[in-house]
Amino acid sequence: MTPLLGRVLVLLALFCAAAGSVIAFSAGARRSLTGYQWARKFAYSFCGFMVAANVLMTYALVTHDFSVSYVAQVGSRSVPLWVSFVSLWSSLEGSILFWGLILSLYIAAATFANRDQHLEYMPYATGVWLACATFFSFLISGPAQPFLTMTPVPADGPGPNPLLQNHILMAIHPPFLYLGYVGMTIPFGLASAALLTGKLGHSFLRPLRTWLLVPWIFQTCAIVLGGWWAYEVLGWGGYWAWDPVENASLLPWLTATAAVHSLVVLERKGFLKGWTVTLIMSTFLLTILGTFMTRSGVFNSVHSFTQSSIGPTILVFLALALIWTVVLLASRVDTLIAEGTLDDPLSRESAFLVNNLLFVLLTFTILIGTVFPLVVEAMKGVQMSVGRPYFDRMSVPIGVALLFLMGVGPALPWGRSSGRQMLRSLLPPLIGGVALASIGAAMGVRNPWTLLTLFFGGYTAQVTMREMWRPMVQRMRKHGDKPLEAFVEGQLRRGRRRFGAYIVHSGAVVVFISIAVSSTMQTSRQVHLRSGESTTLGPYTLKFLGVEERPEPNRQSTIARVAVSRNGKQLAVMTPRMNQYLTQREPVGTPDVRTSLSSDLYLSILNVDPATQTVGFLALINPMVGWIWIATAVMAFGGVIALVSPRKAAERSALAPSTNFGAPVHGPGSEPVVEGSS
Amino acid sequence: MNRKVLIGGLFIIVPVVAVLLLSLGNDPQRIRSPLIGHHAPPFTLRESGSSAIIALDDLRGSPVVVNFWATWCVPCFEEHQFLVAEAANHPEVKFVGIVFDDQERTIQDFLARNGTGYPHLLDAGGRTAIAYGIYGVPESFFLDRRGVIVAKHEGPMTEDVFGAGLKKATAE
Repeated sequence: MTPLLGRVLVLLALFCAAAGSVIAFSAGARRSLTGYQWARKFAYSFCGFMVAANVLMTYALVTHDFSVSYVAQVGSRSVPLWVSFVSLWSSLEGSILFWGLILSLYIAAATFANRDQHLEYMPYATGVWLACATFFSFLISGPAQPFLTMTPVPADGPGPNPLLQNHILMAIHPPFLYLGYVGMTIPFGLASAALLTGKLGHSFLRPLRTWLLVPWIFQTCAIVLGGWWAYEVLGWGGYWAWDPVENASLLPWLTATAAVHSLVVLERKGFLKGWTVTLIMSTFLLTILGTFMTRSGVFNSVHSFTQSSIGPTILVFLALALIWTVVLLASRVDTLIAEGTLDDPLSRESAFLVNNLLFVLLTFTILIGTVFPLVVEAMKGVQMSVGRPYFDRMSVPIGVALLFLMGVGPALPWGRSSGRQMLRSLLPPLIGGVALASIGAAMGVRNPWTLLTLFFGGYTAQVTMREMWRPMVQRMRKHGDKPLEAFVEGQLRRGRRRFGAYIVHSGAVVVFISIAVSSTMQTSRQVHLRSGESTTLGPYTLKFLGVEERPEPNRQSTIARVAVSRNGKQLAVMTPRMNQYLTQREPVGTPDVRTSLSSDLYLSILNVDPATQTVGFLALINPMVGWIWIATAVMAFGGVIALVSPRKAAERSALAPSTNFGAPVHGPGSEPVVEGSS
Repeated sequence: MNRKVLIGGLFIIVPVVAVLLLSLGNDPQRIRSPLIGHHAPPFTLRESGSSAIIALDDLRGSPVVVNFWATWCVPCFEEHQFLVAEAANHPEVKFVGIVFDDQERTIQDFLARNGTGYPHLLDAGGRTAIAYGIYGVPESFFLDRRGVIVAKHEGPMTEDVFGAGLKKATAE
């Protein structure tokens, strides 16, 4: 009964998406408000059916209904409840169903948020969203059907991949990733609509920015949560390995970040329309490429548990999306006429431009490194892999240049400025740069790239702080406001977006520095210890107390107990584990990480030799890694601050809702740019 | 139509799609079994549900299909019926199931519900699975009359794969 109901729900969702898409495109072409209203109803219905299908699958997983093929594949009576929940996205069919859920929620939210606005664009945008929804519903209803009926019904299932059961972060990382990845469909639809109408009016930049920023925030968190998971679970002591699937999550983030910046120039100066639209559309294409990378099985990756036979289907969709993008851009990009020009090569807008080029260069560099093994195999039939040295060598200089621009760009004024003005802006932050680099050198940093990162980091941090608080300081000076009043008015009311953007930058500076320091200043040791033996690592003494076996319903854990002391003072007993899951031969390690603000003490089990009672340990001191997680949270917080504009509601009520197609399109002159936008 | 954009776009997308298309079907994790062409690792294991001991050497002289499986593996469940039917169709071929990482009571329940067809052996500690380099279950090996491995298949057995493997195993 459940499998049948699931199949019916998915088919209804497919119908709503397909019909809604056709109706929406037709409404856009014929400028029919009634048609668009129908398309909206289909969009909401699509969401309803997708939500219902996901609720049904979750219920089947939690109640161990093994008559559903997906539950038989990933469910198990022996796993904890939370694992049953996360099993929804632990394998291919469920994860595509979950994709459908997130997509449907995004489509419904974006449709609802713009229901009375931008009527010229919205039918086309809805048409594109629902066309994408049609593809994913088709996948769910056919090639990746999770609701097949199992006969006879198995008594139990194997449970999800042990790697996914091993840490609670697995409950958080995938949903964030999907919220980031899938959300890029919304700006793609909006950008397509701009091209189809041949306009990118000033008022339409706001939804474009909002719906780009929302998935960007999730994607930022998702990438770092993935790194955190790898760090806490995989046991090799690092958080980023340039794995193809890691790269797949980074690539669209890079182009989306570039687009967030080019949107600022577009809003301020009225140019880079075609470029911005291209970046937004490329972001979506890279998410589909990433999906192909993860699902097709052609890349060797830690994420290989999601590999499947739907690669060809996704490739067809990717090819169609690529053709759609190129043809649309080629035929319509010339209709997006710029309203401004680049006045001065030494201005903030030109720094934005260089920033954009660097982001695109970095995207291409990583893309080439990721795809290169496929090229070699296709041409020579030889298996090879592009490793860390390539990615590090290529990305570190570009990353450092981006950090430099993050400082110089905001220090430069918009438009033309005198040489003196420029020097007054650019020179003082050198103090911050020299100070931080000197502190680093005094603390033992010798790697030239790390020193350079510290120098630019210090420079950028000073610029960021100066610019972040400028509106508040100006209000206090000019209007004599009290600090709290100036903060509320200058930072939160008028300059909220700018404030949010600089919070993001301040987080990014810390991430840059933490990555540089943690990857070049690590201390490591591999030792084999018998019970009672000790070793030292930096200031720490590690004494191996012995192992303990702990049986659990779904796994058998071998837990090593290691007493950690520093200068003779007992700090803690660390307990790295080795988990043997019933359904997997290879054991899965769980390192124990003792985090502090300055460094992490990281301890993982390499192997256990029961014959000699010897345990092999990997012990690491990783400086500043904890700051990556903290600073990313700061970046996400800044993104949210920049997203929520308190003036939006007021502006919306001031503008009469346009219920006719062909409402006037605002140019930079007809609608004020939000004051203080960076 | 902006020709520069069109040509530039096609210049990027055509090679990318072509490379991805050519890569489909490649498995970067596939490792050709070094056992093919060599004598199969010997084993002497107890049959599940009985005290009979079966050794690989006892089967020599007939083509042999060695199938590694487990009751908790869904593809194994799906291929079980097929293998039982093929065992009945080919009395000249010896079939042996080796159950990987499982419990005897569960195995007996499974066989009682889904049919036995041929002996299923218990691989205590997974030593035989390790000797055969098992990557995951199900995996099947086709041995010729001399006990040499002539073919290996990862994943559930299909009619085509079975036919091809059997052809190699029965070839003189």
